[in-house]
Amino acid sequence: MWNPHEPLDASERRGLGATALIGLVGAWSLVSGLEMVSKARLPAPWDVGAALVHLAWNAEHQTSPLAVAAGWSLWRILQATVAVCVVGIPVGVLMGASPRFNAFLSPLVDPLKSAPIVAVLPILMMWLGIGEGMKVAFLWLGAVVYLVPMVRDAIRAVPQDYVVQAYDIGATQLEAVVHTLVPLARPRIFDAVVVAVGIEWTYITVAEYINADTGLGYIIQTARKLSAMDQVFAGILVILVLALLTDTALRAVKGALFPWETEA
Amino acid sequence: MTDGGAVRVELRDIVQEYPRPDGQGVMRVVDGIHLMIQGPTILMLLGPSGCGKSTILRMMGGVRPFNAVTPTSGTVLIDGQPCEGHHPDAVMVFQKYANRPDLSVRDNIGLPFRFGLWKRKVDAAEARRRVEEAMAAVGLADKADHRPAQLSGGQNQRVALARALVTRPRILLMDEPFGALDAQIRSDMQELLVKMWEAWRCLIVFVTHDVTEAITLGDRVVVLSTHPARIADDFAIHAPRPRGEAWLRTPEATELGQRILTHLRQAKASGQVRVTV
Repeated sequence: MWNPHEPLDASERRGLGATALIGLVGAWSLVSGLEMVSKARLPAPWDVGAALVHLAWNAEHQTSPLAVAAGWSLWRILQATVAVCVVGIPVGVLMGASPRFNAFLSPLVDPLKSAPIVAVLPILMMWLGIGEGMKVAFLWLGAVVYLVPMVRDAIRAVPQDYVVQAYDIGATQLEAVVHTLVPLARPRIFDAVVVAVGIEWTYITVAEYINADTGLGYIIQTARKLSAMDQVFAGILVILVLALLTDTALRAVKGALFPWETEA
Repeated sequence: MTDGGAVRVELRDIVQEYPRPDGQGVMRVVDGIHLMIQGPTILMLLGPSGCGKSTILRMMGGVRPFNAVTPTSGTVLIDGQPCEGHHPDAVMVFQKYANRPDLSVRDNIGLPFRFGLWKRKVDAAEARRRVEEAMAAVGLADKADHRPAQLSGGQNQRVALARALVTRPRILLMDEPFGALDAQIRSDMQELLVKMWEAWRCLIVFVTHDVTEAITLGDRVVVLSTHPARIADDFAIHAPRPRGEAWLRTPEATELGQRILTHLRQAKASGQVRVTV
């Protein structure tokens, strides 16, 4: 029971996970079904289900508000992720490969990790307006401050033996960075990107609070204004599921890209 | 492959000091080593573990540990030229072979040709030819597309040896390369090394703490004492290679083994010496 290395077979693992989920939904059903808490505060699971169905298809406009909103949220996250990688990976590599670069940039990068990114939102609005650019920039800022230190650590985590060997067979310092450090750090850099995408999902509602006309954050925000708690829950649920799906998909991509990582 | 050609490595009054771990002054690890090596030959550098032989070996290729000045004083000359920084004619083979987990056997062996130094010296077609040749020579032709994780320790060490040889080094520096291998595999690797050396005669400086390995492989054996390292003995072995089990039981071999052991005992070695006779 208390051996952290005890092997669990897949069915037991899934069973235990499912038990927790069912337990939560069960407790939730009980509390809301017996109206121990008012429906305005805690909608029942079936109310949330009904809200999901309601959001999934709008017969009047012949459209799916939920799919459109999810599509927009995904699109914003995709743009932010590309921008995060384009800036964050090179900067992180430079900081990881050169103590001088690190000493130069770390006073700018390291404090930002604990900075109140949400508080920066008004500044972004003044600089970039309240359109799409501001939303993507906000997601970018929230994620890039985590990605840079993680990429730096990924580079530093490459065992020194490989660098010594590269020098020995003729590599210059720069070649050792390009041909040794970066290739060997790729799996951990990829992990860092997965974490960055997860962080973007946590910020998506905030990004979409301001002047959005669509997006999952917009749905939640609108529902909240109308006190439609079931729709707020439905929106949160969809974000959770999408975040989980992107995470799973990215991990599968990682396995395919770096098969040597998982070999004994 | 024929010959690495004549090469001369000279150590003049080499001293190496490191700061003590407690920060109180310095510790002299290597004290006044004078050595003249004329290649092609196989020179064995024998001493107890931790006696500083790896430090001396690294100096010969100009391999500097990070953040350390080495040697503290004295000069290393390669063909009369002071050696500062990595010498392109010298390649090391480490016990930790550090094969790249993300690359196939073929790409690991061809790794030097990704770097500008060897790209300029060797054209792509010649590089490919050398890689295939070295891969066959170490008996890994059928494992070309395998990755290191799919190989045994001995096979990985073969990859490291092949990678060192594709650059046709004039000086091959081997730092206890077979130290982590099982006895049988180690003796196979020693045999392979002799075969490779017959095909490409260069200067091999081979560090070991194994007395049997030293007398099995060496044209010349330099025995080091410890704390600090000084040259305790230096002799030649003329018996033809390969020197198998039978030779190891001859009076000549036993006598050489005893001679080395006497020195090592006198050195009051705190490190370990391995005898596998």
